[in-house]
Amino acid sequence: MRLTVNAQEHEVVVQGHETLLAVLREQLELTGTKLGCARGECGACTVLVNGRAAYSCLTLAAGCASHSITTVEGLAAGQSLHALQRAFIEHDALQCGYCTPGQLMAAVALLARNPAPSVDEIRHGMSGNLCRCGTYPKIVRAVQAAAIGMRADASLDVVR
Amino acid sequence: MAARKRTSKPAQGKLPGHDSEPGAETLPAGSGQERGTPQKRFVATKVEIEGREELKIVELPDLEPVPWGEDEPLGIVGERVPRMDALEKVTGRARYTADMVRPAMLHAAFVRAPIASGRVTRLDLGPALALPGVRAALTASDVTGVMHAGAPLFDQVIHWAGQPLAALCADTLELAHRACALVALEMELTPHVVTVNAALQTGAPLVRPTGNVPRSQPRVLQRGDVDSARATADVVVTLELRTPCALHTAMEPHGAAAEWTGDDLTVWESTQGIFQVRKDVARAFKLPLNRVRVMKDYMGGGFGAKNYAGAHTYTAVALARMLGRPVRCILDREGEQTDTGNRPATTQRVTLAARVDGTLVSIEADTTIAYGYSGWLASPAKIYHELYACPSVRTSETFVHLNTGAMDSFRAPGHVEGAFGLERTMDALARGLGMDPLELRRKNYAVHDQEKNRRYSAKHLDRCYSEGAERFGWMRRRAESAASRASGARFRRGVGMASQIWGAGGGPPAYATVRVNPDGTVDVLTGTQDLGTGSRTIFAQIAAESLGARLADVRTVLGDTERTPYAGNSWGSITTASVGPAVRIAALQARARLIEAAAELLEVDTTRLSASDSVVRVADDERTMTFAQIGRELGDVMIMGQGSRGANPPDTAIAAFAAQFAEVEVDVETGRVRVLAITSAHDSGRIINPMLAESQLEGGIIMGLGYALFEERVIDERLGLPLNPTTHDYKIPTVGDIPPIDAFFVRSADVVANHTGARGIAEAPIIPTAPAIANAVADAIGVEVVEIPMTPWRVLAAINGG
Repeated sequence: MRLTVNAQEHEVVVQGHETLLAVLREQLELTGTKLGCARGECGACTVLVNGRAAYSCLTLAAGCASHSITTVEGLAAGQSLHALQRAFIEHDALQCGYCTPGQLMAAVALLARNPAPSVDEIRHGMSGNLCRCGTYPKIVRAVQAAAIGMRADASLDVVR
Repeated sequence: MAARKRTSKPAQGKLPGHDSEPGAETLPAGSGQERGTPQKRFVATKVEIEGREELKIVELPDLEPVPWGEDEPLGIVGERVPRMDALEKVTGRARYTADMVRPAMLHAAFVRAPIASGRVTRLDLGPALALPGVRAALTASDVTGVMHAGAPLFDQVIHWAGQPLAALCADTLELAHRACALVALEMELTPHVVTVNAALQTGAPLVRPTGNVPRSQPRVLQRGDVDSARATADVVVTLELRTPCALHTAMEPHGAAAEWTGDDLTVWESTQGIFQVRKDVARAFKLPLNRVRVMKDYMGGGFGAKNYAGAHTYTAVALARMLGRPVRCILDREGEQTDTGNRPATTQRVTLAARVDGTLVSIEADTTIAYGYSGWLASPAKIYHELYACPSVRTSETFVHLNTGAMDSFRAPGHVEGAFGLERTMDALARGLGMDPLELRRKNYAVHDQEKNRRYSAKHLDRCYSEGAERFGWMRRRAESAASRASGARFRRGVGMASQIWGAGGGPPAYATVRVNPDGTVDVLTGTQDLGTGSRTIFAQIAAESLGARLADVRTVLGDTERTPYAGNSWGSITTASVGPAVRIAALQARARLIEAAAELLEVDTTRLSASDSVVRVADDERTMTFAQIGRELGDVMIMGQGSRGANPPDTAIAAFAAQFAEVEVDVETGRVRVLAITSAHDSGRIINPMLAESQLEGGIIMGLGYALFEERVIDERLGLPLNPTTHDYKIPTVGDIPPIDAFFVRSADVVANHTGARGIAEAPIIPTAPAIANAVADAIGVEVVEIPMTPWRVLAAINGG
């Protein structure tokens, strides 16, 4: 089957029971997306499926043929980091970094559906992603900062 | 500072070119005065790790720099620099052990015991091996003499549920798991014990042939005469408290990948100690140390559970050798939650006795520790002997073997448990005395180390109390919470506080090499690891500061036994204070060489040269040379410095201190506790990078919040099986549970502890969190809370009188 990941088409052979996570990590060697629990509990495997956050450990790869998949590897545009990636670095919203790809993808999905979230909305929107290092306060701050930056950029685009 | 200047040979050790640089003056090393033999190079020094004091041999550095003082004008150390591996982490490029892919790599998984106690009578691997793509099985006879969690690896006698019984190796991980499910397993059950009460009954099934209590007796520690002292008290308070079994729950499970090239073995391991794993693997497979290379570039959390090689390591190594192909063995979540260690549950019966003015006259704690099948005797009692000034202290610890997975170090092992008992009971004592809990703690301030009767290198807990109380608004919030209780409303507010002490001095041995490349870039090589703490970043900061280099030019290489000189495990909050001084010495040595080279190239005296921003400048002269220019002139000359960690000051306790304040809201109808605010004031010496250090504090506090409110491994008593070995049922905090946290450091540099002035950070913040929150809950509901986690039903039960 064909799988569109980070705007690139890949030809993959997928068995019916195989998860999107397994195909991303093992066949495409996109190891940025992490395996934490394999049960849709921790969020480390979060990717975007057609722009919406999905736990790739619970998503069957075979069902993704007509979908557009985005992983953390596809977040930056070339050398230019996504506003959320920059904000995570600047606000130190990561420690060990294992949950970070999932946190980033959840945040991208959150800001796509709500470009100006309140703190409570960020807490709600990000609560499906566990972090054992306890970077939560800084994740909230980073998402807030990125949202403000992205809205400013968007309004600039309108002016242009 | 005096501790470092006890030397008889002054000027001789001076490095050239340092006079103009702050803190760059050097002195000959401590010269063996630990044992009063001035000329010895290898001497013994005391190092505290995970609450245990150990005697370590130290190779004294040739030169011991003058400590960076409190007001040292430092430009890079102390800056809020973003972590230097953040780019790799936000782009998904950071490779963790679980991401390691090698050509023709196979995957291994475990068959685990589904009962808590018994014996395997039939283990038929045939159906599993018949599955296409399954390559091999590993059983006890393949790994004789190799131990895992206190038992022979793949022991056919079952000691705990989740114990590995065999491993299967296949082309994919999924196939390996399927193969495990096909193994025909027959067992004979024997009676198990999974609770302390059951294990201490006469006639209880024996978990160990020698009995259920190590050495068959409690460990008793005492000073003074507790019974006479208690008789003089005005107020005596006793609480019986319980703490749960907590699981590390690192996001990346334990795992290893192994590859043999001829007789050379490479192991990638998610570990807190690459050199420890090398030692473990070499011993298990009878290999010379120089044939084993252990690497850990990135790891997804450890928190104490990843200090040694384990079943996964030995399995990957043995299968890789057997099959001649690389093998990766990463635990699944259930394996991670059942077979990689835990913080054992405790009961603590605590009695505090005081005079009417609050002066403690005696402290007593009688504890049991639900130790599991194996582990080490992490002491919940120790903090009772340390935290407060008190002449009479008696503690007893009964460690109890159970048919449950082995305990292991977990972020401040022992102290977290003990702090809950001590600080919760101190709060009850304050209530009994009608005293402000903060005043009670100030009243019993320990100016020197109570346990060993020696000085502290530095102690600013008093400032933590005052600055913490000020920033938290202790007096104001206390008044507000009292008003909320008086109103009788459904949502009651309460405030509480607690403090902590944790050995955080670090120590030798730890080594570093600093290399200046011909293009002026700098490599810092040290055999430590970055668990997510930021050690990569702070060692680059220390090196850049000491060398006079631009931070952007400096890169830290760690986590590889082959590329780096030795540094110890990242445990016991020791890394910064152990490795930092070695990095500083290595950088100073490299700088001395660089300055010498520049002096010859510029034909000036070294004393006129200084280095900063990767540029060497001549005093009263326009001339400069960049590091890159010097490198070009020198060709392939290697500018290199070697540094090692010197001895700890004698007869000195080195610790991190903190005071923590919490406000909660309790719904008295449902028992739900919501934490509204936490303020945490820390004294950890000089802070190399405040941003990363604050992240550590927040992380520890959040982990402590989980311990206080949610986290508890549950084992079915009848079946002996863990009921919640998942991240769904074992509740760690989510972003939605986190209150505003104000975590900060009181400004200080510990010039006695070591010459960077830094102490450890990582474990201190978790220690006082649960008692501070519990004290706030007790304040809110007016009942002495004695058990964590404070789940709604426990809080409701407390409100309704048990």
